[in-house]
Amino acid sequence: MMSALYALWAGSFGSWYAFTSGTLVRAVPLMLTGLGVAVAFRAGVFNIGAEGQLLAGAVAATAVGLHGSGMLGPATLPVALVAGALAGAAWAGIAAVLRVRFGVLEVISTLMLNFVAADLVSYLVRGPLQEPLHIYPQSSSIPAIARLPQFGPATRLHWGIVIAVVLVFVVAWELAHTAAGFRVRAVGANPSAAWATGRVPVSRVTTRAFLFSGLLAGLAGAIEVTGVTYALYENLSPGYGFTAIAVAILAGLQPLGVLPSALVFAGLESGATAMQRDAGVPAAWASVVEAGLILAVVGVIALRARARSAAANGGPP
Amino acid sequence: MRAKQRFSTAFNIAIALALAACSHGNSDSGRSSASDFKVALLTPGPVSDQSWNAGAYQGLLRIRDSLGAKISNIETKTPADFEESFRQYGAQHYSLVIGHGFEFQDAAKRVAPDYPKTVFVTTSGNTEGPNLAGLQFDFANPSFLAGMLAGGVTHSGVVGVIGGTELPPVRESFAAFARGAQFVNPKVRVLSSYIGNWDDVSAGREQALAQIAQNADVIFQNADAAGLGVIQAARQSKNVLVFGSNSNQNDVAPDVVIASVVINLPHAFLLVANEVKDSTFRGRVISLGMRDDVVQLVLNPKLASRIPAPLVTRIDSVRTAMLHGSFPGADSAASPAR
Repeated sequence: MMSALYALWAGSFGSWYAFTSGTLVRAVPLMLTGLGVAVAFRAGVFNIGAEGQLLAGAVAATAVGLHGSGMLGPATLPVALVAGALAGAAWAGIAAVLRVRFGVLEVISTLMLNFVAADLVSYLVRGPLQEPLHIYPQSSSIPAIARLPQFGPATRLHWGIVIAVVLVFVVAWELAHTAAGFRVRAVGANPSAAWATGRVPVSRVTTRAFLFSGLLAGLAGAIEVTGVTYALYENLSPGYGFTAIAVAILAGLQPLGVLPSALVFAGLESGATAMQRDAGVPAAWASVVEAGLILAVVGVIALRARARSAAANGGPP
Repeated sequence: MRAKQRFSTAFNIAIALALAACSHGNSDSGRSSASDFKVALLTPGPVSDQSWNAGAYQGLLRIRDSLGAKISNIETKTPADFEESFRQYGAQHYSLVIGHGFEFQDAAKRVAPDYPKTVFVTTSGNTEGPNLAGLQFDFANPSFLAGMLAGGVTHSGVVGVIGGTELPPVRESFAAFARGAQFVNPKVRVLSSYIGNWDDVSAGREQALAQIAQNADVIFQNADAAGLGVIQAARQSKNVLVFGSNSNQNDVAPDVVIASVVINLPHAFLLVANEVKDSTFRGRVISLGMRDDVVQLVLNPKLASRIPAPLVTRIDSVRTAMLHGSFPGADSAASPAR
């Protein structure tokens, strides 16, 4: 048990290599998708489709990386990232249109679109995007020019971490200090009141927040392809888009909170892998420990929040 | 409220102490490992699947028991995990690291040059390098024999194949199975479906029940953990037989599993591990099949009475012809791209 916990620690935060190449590499997609989910939830949009939006971004980035490099040259990488972000936004856009035009609950549409995206990837890696020998269900590797540079030969950490952290700060500032951010918060807090003021275009604000969260998830997918996997596979994401919901909630839906929150989940994921590898813990047990720790963290936070609100109200909880 | 806060602080301190304590305890025992021959296995799914991954794990245990290796294994989830685990094992000076599936080969190719003292092997892979090998199994011949058996015992004239996902070796094996069935019974109809994953037991059962509803009475499954659902479906239905795959699954359900196409992964892994241990290893694509005793059709003795004797004789004669290289039927159209 002790050696298992030690492996969990050593494989997540216990060494520089584990921290940069295990935890931080996993934190990049979690930061971006978690940030997207936080923004959407703050605007009152329950986008639980980050997984599908991430896959849409991965597909677009792969397509650009494979077929655009001849024409685009050094511009391939930025174009692939932008294409991935736009594809994520477009995938979220389907659900946004369904909600605004037809009143379809986004909880259902975004969830379902996750499966559509996963099946679309399955089709593409056996069809149009399959590697040229048509043996394996995966795409070819994208050329070096389309890849995000790594920080050095001794690490797998790539420049995606910079993009993710900068975006977290930009979004945090936007949300707190700009009129657009204020509208998002107002609509999320009370859409009827926001509408009644006559100065907040409620449906436009929700649509934009929706598209923006898809944009971030799509970018996460594009970064995963250009920075980590270099090719499109069926099981590209271990459920980053779902963990993103937990990341956002643990962050209290605060953009800056996403940074530590994503690190916690990425560290758990990375440490659980090390627990299997170095301590011989069966994979299922590693997942159980991981889930137990998540519950413990969330539970402690809930207790604290309850204690705080009880203190504020001046009475027992 | 204060009590709660104090509790959580105490709790945090306790965890920190526990971690510190075990980090001391462990660093000593970790360094003084007994053997320098270290072998690691990466599986794409749980080693409890009684099939593809279980066989590989048995192989790892065989290497430990026969060669005294120190072993480690990990179930990877995504392509990002593949490279990370390969690198970790390389950095820890493992002698042999086996990625158990074609999907590991890109990562192995990227990592291998950085750790020249570690040998990387990918099962079903076709990439090679100085310290990199692909390990290929000839499924086609034994699958053809399985097909002959299926074609001979079916009453309805409809047989089925059910796969996890449409991987190249699975597809080739199913094609050989279909040719084998039609070899003994030209009128036989072959239904084919894929579950879409390798671990959803109930989805495997649904696919099998759907084929049974279309009159299939012999089903060849190759779906790892999900394949156990196919076996369940056969047990629920009357007079349906199934074939096991990868591991010997005859004992999983002796009443319905008529035979298994077995890859003797322990044997195959041991062959490779021996080369690595003796430093006779050369990077190449290693191809193993019936002739090496690695892939076999193993009949279930408990259901032997269901197989007509002339059919057994016929299968045996085709098997002999295959071993002598004088039977081209099984893989006539296999691996078109290679």
